[in-house]
Amino acid sequence: MNGEIFNPNPTVFALSKRSGRKSKFETGRSLWIDNEGPLEQTDDSEVESIDQDEIFDLIRSIADPEHPNSLEELRVVSAEQIDVGQNHVTIEFTPTVPHCGMSTLIGLSIRVRLLRSLPQRFKVDIKVKPGSHQSELAVNKQLNDKERVAAALENPALVETLEKCLETAGMQSELYD
Amino acid sequence: MDVDLPYELQLVTDLRGHEERAWQIAWNPVEPLLASCSADKSVRLYNYQPSNESLKFSHIHSIPTGHTKTVRSLAWSPSGKTLATGSFDSNVGIWEREGGHDGDEEAADWECMTLLEGHETECKSVAYSSSGTLLASCSRDKTVWVWEVHPDSDFECMGVLMEHTQDVKCVAWHPSEEILASASYDDTIKLYIDDPSEDWFCFSTLTGHKSTVWALAWSPKGSYLASSSDDLTIKIWKRVAEHKWECALELKGHERSIYSISWGKGKTGEESLGWLASTGGDGKINVWDIREPPESSTGRVLSHKLIATLSSAHDVSDVNSISWCPREGFEDLLATAGDDGSVRVWKVVPSH
Repeated sequence: MNGEIFNPNPTVFALSKRSGRKSKFETGRSLWIDNEGPLEQTDDSEVESIDQDEIFDLIRSIADPEHPNSLEELRVVSAEQIDVGQNHVTIEFTPTVPHCGMSTLIGLSIRVRLLRSLPQRFKVDIKVKPGSHQSELAVNKQLNDKERVAAALENPALVETLEKCLETAGMQSELYD
Repeated sequence: MDVDLPYELQLVTDLRGHEERAWQIAWNPVEPLLASCSADKSVRLYNYQPSNESLKFSHIHSIPTGHTKTVRSLAWSPSGKTLATGSFDSNVGIWEREGGHDGDEEAADWECMTLLEGHETECKSVAYSSSGTLLASCSRDKTVWVWEVHPDSDFECMGVLMEHTQDVKCVAWHPSEEILASASYDDTIKLYIDDPSEDWFCFSTLTGHKSTVWALAWSPKGSYLASSSDDLTIKIWKRVAEHKWECALELKGHERSIYSISWGKGKTGEESLGWLASTGGDGKINVWDIREPPESSTGRVLSHKLIATLSSAHDVSDVNSISWCPREGFEDLLATAGDDGSVRVWKVVPSH
């Protein structure tokens, strides 16, 4: 944030094909918000399931805070690092360098993207890949403390930075459709 | 589900109105009033009256507060006349009712008597001492402040305790003595007293939790302190000497962070240390009956029995706060606040 560049020369990887299916969450809105006519009544046994690829499509195009690349291009996120249960999502991400000071910001951008996109029933845990960051425990603890996250999202300067990272988050569909 | 437990939680009411996450509820200790606070920066006040063998809750007032960020915490003074609010805007508000006394609640207006400034970042918890002469607040700035309450809403800072190495999540006063406890993101609990010739100081640090300690609750008589954590455990610390506390019990029963606990008298008689209620990110409410081991037994381990449990107490939402009604005759009444913005009131009733 103070102009320091943590990784001046990151490796940029080619993009993989997207999952091919149009995600229901692509709009960045909740599934439950009616944007395609009346929603069918769903009872509990028919809760919409979501898979790894759909979650990946939501976060792959988030911009890296210090490079003109997406989190996917820098291999910060990948589909394999996403674990989805019935009401639970765990995302692991890989900072490009172990001293990356942007890690909490990246994690927060993933959290906010999912907060805005996934149905409320999902509890989300976000972690850096084990061994990939020198302050792994501190970063994980902060990203999963809901009170700290809530307070961060009331900080206008931080929210502005986050919004920049998230501006590109919905671009995936335009790239490949 | 859980048919074997002797009690169950019966929903008394579901109070909607907050536009965002509800963080905490607080029962007025004297009057039939329940307050809740929220990320929407408001405080809502409800009164309750008996109605057909149940209770009828009515929204009587909303305080917009003027806090510029989330109102995270609430505390009533023991007299029930003053309400303190702790906000992410780092300030503590002190509120009193103007006019509308003697039951005419709806005519009452709640005014900010003073704003306590001092914390550098989010205030996370506020608490009044049992005598009402002291107020404690804590913050992400790692400090705990002790304020002396003077007449006419005048507050004097008696100490700034800088013992924790990280955010302080919760402060709680002993139910009869001037002992203050604080819980932190640094995984520890600290206990403080006033040195008559010096200042407030930390006389003990309780370690053992493996992650953030979110909440604290003293047993009604004060011989025990319960703490709940992100490590998914509740620990109960026993006072073994005047200034010495040791872990006497560990409870498990939640799958995500345990954000709140409350220890009430319960309704199972004098042999019980009371009912301990817990809730958290898994949306579950647990109620335990805690007892001391019989005199004859040599063990020091407290006995504990889960007497009631309820999953999805706020549907899919996290539950952020739980609190027993402190008023006599209402020992079986619990309130909870959730991420869904709602406040729910529960009665613990024998299961059929």
